[in-house]
Parts: sequence; structure tokens; C-alpha cells
Amino acid sequence: MTGSHTHPNTLDVMQLGIALPNGHRLLRDVSLSLRPGEVRALVGESGAGKSMIGKAVLGILPQNLRVTGGEILLEGQHLGAMTPWTRRKTVAQSAALIPQDPLTALNPARRIGPQITDPLVRIHGWSRAKARDTALALLDRVHIRDPKRVMESYPHELSGGMRQRVLIAAAFAPSPRLIVADEPTTALDVTVQKQILRLIRELQQETGTAVLFVTHDMGVVAKISQKVTVLFAGKVMEDAPTERIFTDPAHPYTRALIAATPSYADLDRPFSPVPQTLIAELQGAIARDDARHQGAAR
Amino acid sequence: MTAQTQTRTTASEAVAPAPSLFSVRDLRLSFPDLARKPLLGAAPRNEVLKGLSFDIPAGQITGIVGESGSGKSTAGRVLVRLLEPDSGSVLYEGRDIGHLDESALRPLRRDLQMIFQDPMSSLNPRHKVWRIIAQPMKRYGLGGTRADAIAALGKVGLPAAFAERYPHELSGGQRQRVGIARAIALKPRFILADEIVSGLDVSSQAQVLLLLKQLAREMGLTIAFISHDLSVIRHLCDRVIVLNRGEIVEQGSVDAVFRAPASDVTRTLLTAIPLPELDPDWLS
Amino acid sequence: MADITAAAPRRRARRLNLRLWLPLLWLGAVALAAIFAPLVAPQDPLMQDLMLERLPPAFMDGSEPGYWLGTDSLGRDVLSRMIHGARIALFVSLVAATATCLFGAALGLVAGYFGGWWDRVISRLVDIWMAFPPVLFAVLLVAVIGTGLTSVIAAIALIDWTRFARVIRAETMVQARMDYVDSARIGGARRLTTLISEILPNVLPSIIALLMLEMGIAVIVEAILSFVNLSISSDDPTWGSMIAEGRNAIHFAWWVLLFPLIALFLTVLSFSTLGEGLKQRFDPVLQ
Repeated sequence: MTGSHTHPNTLDVMQLGIALPNGHRLLRDVSLSLRPGEVRALVGESGAGKSMIGKAVLGILPQNLRVTGGEILLEGQHLGAMTPWTRRKTVAQSAALIPQDPLTALNPARRIGPQITDPLVRIHGWSRAKARDTALALLDRVHIRDPKRVMESYPHELSGGMRQRVLIAAAFAPSPRLIVADEPTTALDVTVQKQILRLIRELQQETGTAVLFVTHDMGVVAKISQKVTVLFAGKVMEDAPTERIFTDPAHPYTRALIAATPSYADLDRPFSPVPQTLIAELQGAIARDDARHQGAAR
Repeated sequence: MTAQTQTRTTASEAVAPAPSLFSVRDLRLSFPDLARKPLLGAAPRNEVLKGLSFDIPAGQITGIVGESGSGKSTAGRVLVRLLEPDSGSVLYEGRDIGHLDESALRPLRRDLQMIFQDPMSSLNPRHKVWRIIAQPMKRYGLGGTRADAIAALGKVGLPAAFAERYPHELSGGQRQRVGIARAIALKPRFILADEIVSGLDVSSQAQVLLLLKQLAREMGLTIAFISHDLSVIRHLCDRVIVLNRGEIVEQGSVDAVFRAPASDVTRTLLTAIPLPELDPDWLS
Repeated sequence: MADITAAAPRRRARRLNLRLWLPLLWLGAVALAAIFAPLVAPQDPLMQDLMLERLPPAFMDGSEPGYWLGTDSLGRDVLSRMIHGARIALFVSLVAATATCLFGAALGLVAGYFGGWWDRVISRLVDIWMAFPPVLFAVLLVAVIGTGLTSVIAAIALIDWTRFARVIRAETMVQARMDYVDSARIGGARRLTTLISEILPNVLPSIIALLMLEMGIAVIVEAILSFVNLSISSDDPTWGSMIAEGRNAIHFAWWVLLFPLIALFLTVLSFSTLGEGLKQRFDPVLQ
């Protein structure tokens, strides 16, 4: 564990490649980094592979996917070089997930309380009392009115927004260095989405946790992140500070994504689909790339 | 979706209003709350629609907006009579269709079509695309051959090859086009579009919305467009109805409602939308 | 418009599906043997020859040519009796399972889709029916109509229709909530049309899987009833009666018990595996 203090980045993903068993590539040499306290948005349309990056970092990729190359460094430590057991332990101790669907992420048969405290006791070796106090404090922090009662509740007794608050509290409880937020507001109403985004922002700033924020919504990107990685078909199209993405986007695909997002405030700007010609062009470039990749492998 | 919406001024409010296709008065609907059902006796009822009164003007796109639980989908399903109201009147061209039985509704159904939120669930996974489109056409004597289905696919920009596919072989955007093709194949007068783009990528969302707008103009359709996204409503609709907990909190032309929202609910909904532009203060 | 490229849909290359073909191979062999039993069987299944009693199978010392799987305590050829027994086993499973399936699935579909009054009556009937001990039911039935194939088939159908009704009702209720059912209504379909042409195709894989399972169960029930001598007359060869007889001689003529038991086991296993295989085969989504 030494050396992690001196390493400047919380997360480094370098040249990560992931493929199906039949060789079809899902991620193509994806690189990105995350400094402490930074929020990086991973944005793209479905099939762009944005969720897969977070899953690869946390080591929860579906069984049938192969990592074909690249390195993942969590606080400077090479995850690839570890035994599976050490890797799981390292990841569990310094990273956490806020999942997309708050309904299925909680076990419906167990009370909320132990679902938050169990990992704290099991993985972080806290005492039951400390885990419980922390959980209560955090539930209060995420504006849950009666934390004691909620700890005793079952998931179905809470609304979607409440459940997502519980999951945010659970993720922040062990003070992780990295949180992967996988489309955490997609299933929620807009007003609830705003509250949840605000919560993640506040907690993240208080604790200095770095957040990898997976989303398909350029509006959310604009509000929550400092850095953006734009993905198309498993390939990074653009990696830039959020400010630049919205003032002076370099890649035509980034511009197209913004143009496809409707805005009630801006009726002069027609919103239009990503042009077919652009998609064909990008797909063509990727196909040529893949062919070269295969040629090199042979 | 161009800026042309802006040129249509609120003057349309003052000029003779468009005739109403639907005229709904004091619509009430409740569902039994089975979670609180006592062992014996009837379950208590949850009132979902609490006396809605609104008109759907012919030839226009009316947006119905609200959070989940506001009753917007329920209200829509009453218009196409998938649900029967407890009380109140649902006048379609002056005739109350609120309590017609299924056989009396059947001739009307051709005119009152619907596009569903989840095209995966609304397209029968066992049927090929052409059959999904052709079957209702056959019922109403509008043809219903493979060629007719292919023609309908053409109108939504899908090539003939899609006729032989199964729904699971299509992408989300393609499925939603098939849903549109099935609805317009009957040459209806009214289409209920229930959250039809909420499951789609921004890019397919824009395509489907442009398509819907173009078809509405070409076919002179009246559309009720249910959505939680006010940005989409602003670009697509002529009028908007804002619902909250089963009540209408505001309705009017989109220009008027967006320029000066009268209700707190509308204002909250508006400010909650994360616009794709930098705004450091939005989250504070 | 990346959306509308008409690239051919991906289909998984068709591998030889062993879950489908192995059971089909075994069941096909059993069916052929059953149909052509008089031609295939090496001996007369009823012919007793006390000179040849308890002959071991052909691969053991002391066997006789022409008696491949040995003989029982009355000197009857085990293989020939098994082949003729397959006739009864397959006939019962086919007729009983089909009858059970048609009756139970129809009630399940109606209860699941029409709901309300239909559902209440059918569900109560299923509840009451299931509270009756099935073995007692079968024994009573046979006592009333008498032993014989008809009563075996009637017993199976009268006991097991509840399984179909319950499972198909639940499955139908799930399907009935899907938007495509509302969509059919919007498209002007009558309720019966919706049930038959929209819901039934989606429930069919489950019906087929259950039907196969039921065929396996029917084979077992027939064997059990012959075992306790409530099926057809004990002279006629059935797998169950062979097992019952073989039980007495297990220490010195185990083959009399073992071979019909293996046939029974493989047949039942084949039916249930085939059911799952067919369910997958006919599901366009799973493929």
C-alpha cells in the first residue's frame, strides 16, 4: 500500500481494451485519469462502452468479457498485477459504486441498516457501533428525515429517490477515494435528479472523493463534471475539461451530441440527430483501425 | 425541430381557438390500493385523477407533462379508452366515449391510436414486424398485405428488409419507428404518444421526434404527447398541460407557459432540467 | 440515422444442440421399437420357458444367444418385454399428457387473461383439487372405473391438469400486462383474438416444456400403477410390472430390475430435457 500517497492520480486507465470471446472489440485503447476530488463524466450513447469502463475498474465485468490489454491503476497500484483476492480487497477498500437502478441494487428481503453497515464491518473491519453511527450520520447528511426508522425499513417501503439517497450514503460511508456513479439518475424524475446530483456534488466536495460519472445526458455532464471523456463505439472521441467541451468542442461527434440535446431555453438552436454521414465516417475509421489491429495481432 | 415554433405567437390564443377533438370535463379515476386491502371487503381506492378538465385542439400537438405519479399516463390512457373513468365526461367530437363498451369502441379505435413508451414490450416478440403492422390494417379493411406494411415502414424511414425481422432484432429507435408505423398505418385522427423517447439515446430521440412532427404535419394528426421533459415539449408542442398529483396546475400555449409559468410546479420542473450549457450555480 | 442501416440481423451460428438431439435420439429409438415391437422383439414377450429362467444378459457367462438382456424368473425375454412395454409407456404418456395439457392450459389461459369471475372460479377449483391427495385419488378412480389403460390415462389427466392450469395462468397474467396486449386492443382486436394470436404464442414455449415434463411424469405414474398392479393385467409387459417383478429377484437376477429401470429413467430424463431444449429452440429472443 506504500506509494499510494505520493501518486497524484486516484485513477489511471491506460490503453484499456475489452472484447467479446469471439474477438469483437467493445473498448478500444481507452485511456483516462482522475485526480483526487475531480468529477469526470463518461458520456456516450448506448453501446459506447461507457458503463464497461467503470465495471472494469471495479472488477465486476460480466464473465464472458475478456480484457485484451491495458492497465488500470488505482491510487498508483497496478490492479492487473494483483492476485484476484488482493485486487478485490484493494478495490473494495478504496472504491465504491452508485448503481443505476436503485430498485434492484438493494436486497428486497433485508432491512436497509445492515445493507449499509455489513460491508463496513466486513471489508473495513469497523466495529458494529461505529458502522451504525456512521450510517446514521450519513443518512442524515443525505437529507433523510428519520434515519433510525429508515435503517429499520425494507427497500420497498422507500421511494426511488429515497433508495438512491440510501445508496449514495452507503457508497460514501467508508470514505472511498473513488466512486463510480453508473447513470445514477437515469431512473429518476427530473426534480429528484437535481437533488441527487446536488448531493453527490456536495459529498464529493466535502470528502475529496474522485467520481467517475457515467451518463448519456449532456445536460448532466455540463452540471456535474470538471472533465469529460466522450466515447463512441468503445473509442475515446474527445477528452477535455467540461468548460472546453461546451464552449469549444474539438470533435465533431461531441458537437453532434450537444446539438442532439434539446433545450427549452434555446429555441434558435434546432436540435438535430447525429448526422448519418458522421456516424458512417466514425464507424469506417474504427473498422479500419480494427483491421489493422487484427493484422498486427497476427 | 427548427426555430419556426418561435414565429407562432401567442396571438393564436386570441384568434378563434382551434376546434377541440377531445373535450374532457371533471375527469376522475381511482385504482384499488391492494397493498392496503383488508382481509375481507374491498380495498381502499387511490384517487389518481382528481377532476381534470382540458381540451385537445384538433390538428395540434398537446404536451402533457408531470412527474411520475402525476397521472399523465393514466389521463392519456383514458383518452384512447384503455381505461374507463370513474366519473366525468370524455367527449370525442362531441360524443361521450367515457363509458362505451369494447364492441362500441372497436370502430372508434382506428381513429384513436397510441405509441407506447417501451417498444420492446409493446411489439409482440413472437410476430415479425410486417405482421405487427398489417394485422390491425386487415381488421379495419385497409389492406394488410406485406406490401402495405412495407409501405408504412417506408413512411417512417425504415427499408423493406425490416418487414421480416423480429422486434428483438431491432435497435430501440428502430422499434419505436415500427410503433409509429403501426399507428399511422391505420390513418388515424389522433395519436397518443406516451413517453415515446424516454428510453432512447439523444440521437435516436431527435430522429423520432422529427419524424413524428413531420408525420403530424403531413397527415393533419392531432397528437397528445406525454413527456417528463419540458425541453422536448417546448420544441415539439403547440399547447401544454402541466399535471401534479392528479390535478392540472397549468395549461396554455407553450409560448405563454414557458415565457411566464404561472405555477410553482412548472417553475420547479423547468429549473430542474439540466440544460446542455455551463452553469456553475445550477447545483448550488 | 445510424438507426436505419439495414444490416442483416446477427444470428448465432447454429450449433448442434445436444439438449435437443440426444433426447430426441433416445425417444425416437423407443418410439420405433414400440411401433414395430412385434418385428423388433427377438422373442415372444409372453412366452414362458422354465428351462430358460433367469438367464443372464449376453455379456455374462451362462447366457443364451437370442436373449440379449437375459430372462426373468418365468424365462421370459427381458428385452422383448421391455420393447413391448415401451408401447404402453409411450401410448399412455402421449394420450394422457396431451389430454392433461389441453384441458389445463385452456383453463389457465382463460383464468389468466379474462380474470375476474373466470379466474375466481377456476382458481378455487384448482385449490380444492390440489388439496386432494393424488395417490388416493388415483386409487379411488381405478377402484371405480376398474383397472386398465383408460383408467390410468384418466387418473393422470384428472390429477395433473392443475399443474398446467396454475403455471399457464401465472404465465398468462404476466403476458397480459405487457403493452403488446394493450396495443392489440388499440388495433381493434377482440379479446379472444388477442388471447389466441397475441398471448398464446408467448406462452406456448412454457406449454411445450410442461407437456414434455408431463409425458415423463405419465410414464412414471403408469409404471407406479403397474408396480402396485393397478394398471393393465399383469401378464401384459409394462416397465412398472417388470420392475415390480425384478425387485423380488434383485440378489440373483438384478438385470430383470435394472434394464427396465434404466429405460424408464432415460425416457423420463429425455422428456424433461427435450422440453427445455424445445422451449429454447422456439424462443426467438433466447436464440
